[in-house]
Amino acid sequence: MTGPALVVDGIARRFGGVRAVDGASFTVQEGSITGLIGPNGAGKTTAFNIISGFLRADAGAVTFRGRRLDSLPPHRVAQAGVVRTFQAPRILTRMSVLENLMLGGVNQPGERLALAWLHGSASRREREVRAEALAVLELLRLTHLAPAYAGTLSGGQRKLLELGRALMAAPRVLLLDEPLAGVAPALADQLLDHVTMLRNHRGMTILIIEHDMEAVMSICDWVVAMDQGRVIASGTPRQIQANEQVIASYLGSAGTAPR
Amino acid sequence: MVNESHMGSLLLQLIYNGLVEGAILALAGLGATLVWGIQRVANFAHGDYMTLGAYVAFLLDVTWSLNLVVAAIGAAVATAALAVGLHFVLLRPLRGRGLVALSLITVGLGLVLRNALFMVAGSQPRQYAFNQTAVIDLRFIRVAPAELWTGVAALVAVPAIAAMLAWTTLGKTMRAVADNRDLAEIAGIDTDGIGLYVWIVAGALAGLGGAMLALVQGTFDPNLGFNVLFLILTVVVLGGIGNAFGALLGGLVLGLVMEVSTWPPLFGGVPTQYQPVVGFVVLILLLMFRPQGLLGKARVL
Amino acid sequence: MDALNPAFWVFVGVVAGIYGLLALALYVQFSMAGLPNFGHVAFMALAAYTMALLVIRADVALVWAGALGIAAAVALGLLLGIPSVRLRANYLAIATVAGSEMIRYLSTNLSLTGGAVGSVGMLGPTHFATYTGSWQPFIEGITAMLRRVVGGVATTDFSMFCVVWATLALLLVLFRRLEKSPWGRVMKSIREDEEAAASLGKNVDAYKLQALVLGGILGGLAGVLWALEIGVFSPDDFQPTLTFYAYLILILGGMNRIWAIPIGAVLFGVLYSGTRFLGFFPLSLVDSGERAYLRLLIVGVVLVVLMAVRPEGMFGKREELVLEK
Repeated sequence: MTGPALVVDGIARRFGGVRAVDGASFTVQEGSITGLIGPNGAGKTTAFNIISGFLRADAGAVTFRGRRLDSLPPHRVAQAGVVRTFQAPRILTRMSVLENLMLGGVNQPGERLALAWLHGSASRREREVRAEALAVLELLRLTHLAPAYAGTLSGGQRKLLELGRALMAAPRVLLLDEPLAGVAPALADQLLDHVTMLRNHRGMTILIIEHDMEAVMSICDWVVAMDQGRVIASGTPRQIQANEQVIASYLGSAGTAPR
Repeated sequence: MVNESHMGSLLLQLIYNGLVEGAILALAGLGATLVWGIQRVANFAHGDYMTLGAYVAFLLDVTWSLNLVVAAIGAAVATAALAVGLHFVLLRPLRGRGLVALSLITVGLGLVLRNALFMVAGSQPRQYAFNQTAVIDLRFIRVAPAELWTGVAALVAVPAIAAMLAWTTLGKTMRAVADNRDLAEIAGIDTDGIGLYVWIVAGALAGLGGAMLALVQGTFDPNLGFNVLFLILTVVVLGGIGNAFGALLGGLVLGLVMEVSTWPPLFGGVPTQYQPVVGFVVLILLLMFRPQGLLGKARVL
Repeated sequence: MDALNPAFWVFVGVVAGIYGLLALALYVQFSMAGLPNFGHVAFMALAAYTMALLVIRADVALVWAGALGIAAAVALGLLLGIPSVRLRANYLAIATVAGSEMIRYLSTNLSLTGGAVGSVGMLGPTHFATYTGSWQPFIEGITAMLRRVVGGVATTDFSMFCVVWATLALLLVLFRRLEKSPWGRVMKSIREDEEAAASLGKNVDAYKLQALVLGGILGGLAGVLWALEIGVFSPDDFQPTLTFYAYLILILGGMNRIWAIPIGAVLFGVLYSGTRFLGFFPLSLVDSGERAYLRLLIVGVVLVVLMAVRPEGMFGKREELVLEK
C-alpha cells in the first residue's frame, strides 16, 4: 500500500496564553519511517497527543487513511490502528512483564465482562495472546524477564517493553515518542534495528520523535522539522540537514546544530 | 397572602444568615483546601477538628468562665496545636503511603477524636454561656446576640485571612504550593516546610470555625463538625481544590444558596430541613458540569 | 450478655458475613478498579429501603422487591459514577461521601420511609409494618433442612449464617475468576495507569462504570440481606462509619487478596463484638454506655495503626501495595 497514511492538517492547540501547536501540517507516507524533530517546546509531543486523541485540537484535522481521527477518544484511535508510546515509559509496574504485553493484545473476548467468566486463563485466545507476547519478548530479547514485575526493569528495558506492548496492539501506524532518550548506545542500536525491521518486513508506518540526530538521519525516509508550533521544513534527511531554517531553530534554542 | 415587605425582610434575614453560615464554611473550607492542595490529603477529620475547637471554647467559656472572645482564640490555638502535632507524628512520616491511605488515616483520626469527645465530654447537648433568647433589632433584620457576634467574627476573620493570603509572603507561598505543588517545587519553594504553616492555619481556622458554628447553632454535641463535613468538602470542590480564594468565595456562595433556597417566593421555598440536600445538589451539578469549581482552571487530562 | 452464648456469636457471624459482602463490593471497586467509594453504606441503605418500601407500600413480592432494591443501588452507583468517571479519584471519594450522607438524611426526614423510626413506622406511626413476611417460610424451610443435619444448633439465625456465607463463598469464587481473566487484567491496568490502558485501545470509562455497577450490585445485596436479618431497621443503621468498617475488613485481610476478605470479616467481627466483653480492668472503668464510643475509638486507632504499620494488610503482598500511588 502506498500513499499517505497519516495526514495532519493545520492543527492548533493553546494552553492558557501559550500556543503549543500553531497551524502544523505534515503527511506521513505509508510504509515509511518519518522523523519529527525540533527543539524543546516545538510542539512535537503536543502534536502526538493530538494525533493519538489524548488532546483535543482547537483547530485542524487529523486523517488516517481517509478517516478523521481528531474527534475520537484515545482508545478509539488505538483501536483504529494508530498506537503510540510515551516519552517516559508508562509500563504497569505492579504487573509482570508478560502481563504488560498481554494487555496490549487485540481481539480478546475475555476482556468483555459478559464473557470474562468463560474466557479465563485457559481459553484459546488467551493462549494465542500469550504466544504472541512470548514471541515479542523473544524479538526484544527479554524472554528471561517474562515473570518479573515490570517495576524491576531498568530504564532501557522499560523502553523496550513499551515498544513491545505497542506492537502487541497490532498497529498500522506506530507513534514513537523519543524511544532512544536515556537509552544506552548498544540498546539504542538494537531499538533502531527493530524499528527498521518493522518497516521492512511488516510494512509498518512509523512516526518517530527524536533528538538523536544521527539516529534520525540513519533510519528515516522523511523528516519533518517543527519550531514554535509550526512545521518549518520537511524533506529527506539530507535536505533537512542542509536547511538553514532548521539549523537556525536549533541554534536559537539549544545552541547546537543538528549533525 | 404574601406580605411583600415581609418577604423582603425575610430575604434580608436569609442573606444575613447565609453569609454568616457561609463564612463559617468558608473558613473551614479554606483550611481544608489548603491542606488538600499542599499535603494532597483529603482530611476527613476536618469536621472533628472543628468540634474540638467548639469544645475547647466551651471549656474556656463555661467551665472556666472566660470571655467568649478569649475562648474562641483559645479554640483556634488548641486546634492548631493538635493539627500540627498530628501532622508531625502521623501524617508527615506516612506521606509516601499515597492519597487514599492518608485519607483513611484521617478517617481513623476523626473516629478517635469524635469518640474521645463523646467519652470525655458526654453526648448531652452543650451551649455557651450566652443569652440565647434575646433578640436584637437592627432595623432591617433581627438577630440573636450569638448570630450578631458570629457575624462580627466573620467580618473580621474572612477579610483578615484573605489579606494574609494576598499580601504576605507566607500567604502567597501557601497559595502557590496549594495550587500547583510540582510547579512550586521547581520554583524552589520548600514545599515540605510549608506544611507546618498550613496545618497551623488550617487548624486555627477549623477551631475558630467550630466555635462559631456552635455559637450559631445554639446547642452542639460531638457530632457537630462531622455533620457538616460533606458541606466542607463541597466548599473545597466548589472553590477548586487547592484554590484558597475559591474556598472563601465558595463557602459564602454555598451558605447563601442554602439559606436563600428556603425563601418562599422561590418555588415555594425549600423546607428548612432539606437545606443540606441543596448543598448536595450543588455538589453533584458541580462535579458534572464544572469539576474545577468556580475559580479553578480546567485541568488537561 | 454471656460471652459464651453461641447464639450471640452466630449473630456476629451473620453480620461479619454481610460486612464481608460489602468489603467484596469495595474490593471490586477499589482494589480492582482503583475507584475509592467512601459512601458504600448508601448502596446498602437504598437497597434495603427500596425493598421494604415496595413490599409494604406496593405489595410487591419479596423476591422482586429485593431485586429492584439491588437495581436501585446500581442506579445510585451510576448516578454518582457517570460524572466522576472522567475525573480523578478525589472527586469520586467526595461525591460518594456526600451521596451516602444524603441518602441517610433523606431517609431520616421523609415520612415515606418512616422517618427516624425506620422501617417499623413505614405505614405511619401507629401501624407496625413488616416486609419480612414472605422471607420467614423460606428461612424456616432451610432451618428445618439444617436441623436434620446438625440438630438443635440450627436456629433461624444459623440458617441465615449459612445463607450469607454460602453466598459470599460463591461470589468470591466468581470474582476471583473474573480477576484472573483478561477483563481483570484490563481493570488492573486502569487502576495503575489509565492513559497507558487507553493508548492500548481499552475503553477506560466503560470499565470503570462496570466496576461501579458490580460494586452496586454487591452493596445492594448486602443491604437486602441486612434488612432481612435484622428485620427492623432505621437510618441510623446505615451510618457512614459502616463503609469504613468494610475498608477495615479489606485492610485487615489485605487489600489485594480477595481470599483475605472472609478472614478480615471474621477478624473484624471478633474485634467489634468482642469489645463488648471488655469487662476487665482498666476498661471496666468505662461504663457500659460509653463502651460504644470506646469501641469506635478502638476501630479508629486500629485503622490508623494498620495503615501506618502494615498497609498491605495481614496477607497482602507488599510489592502490590494497592494504596501507594
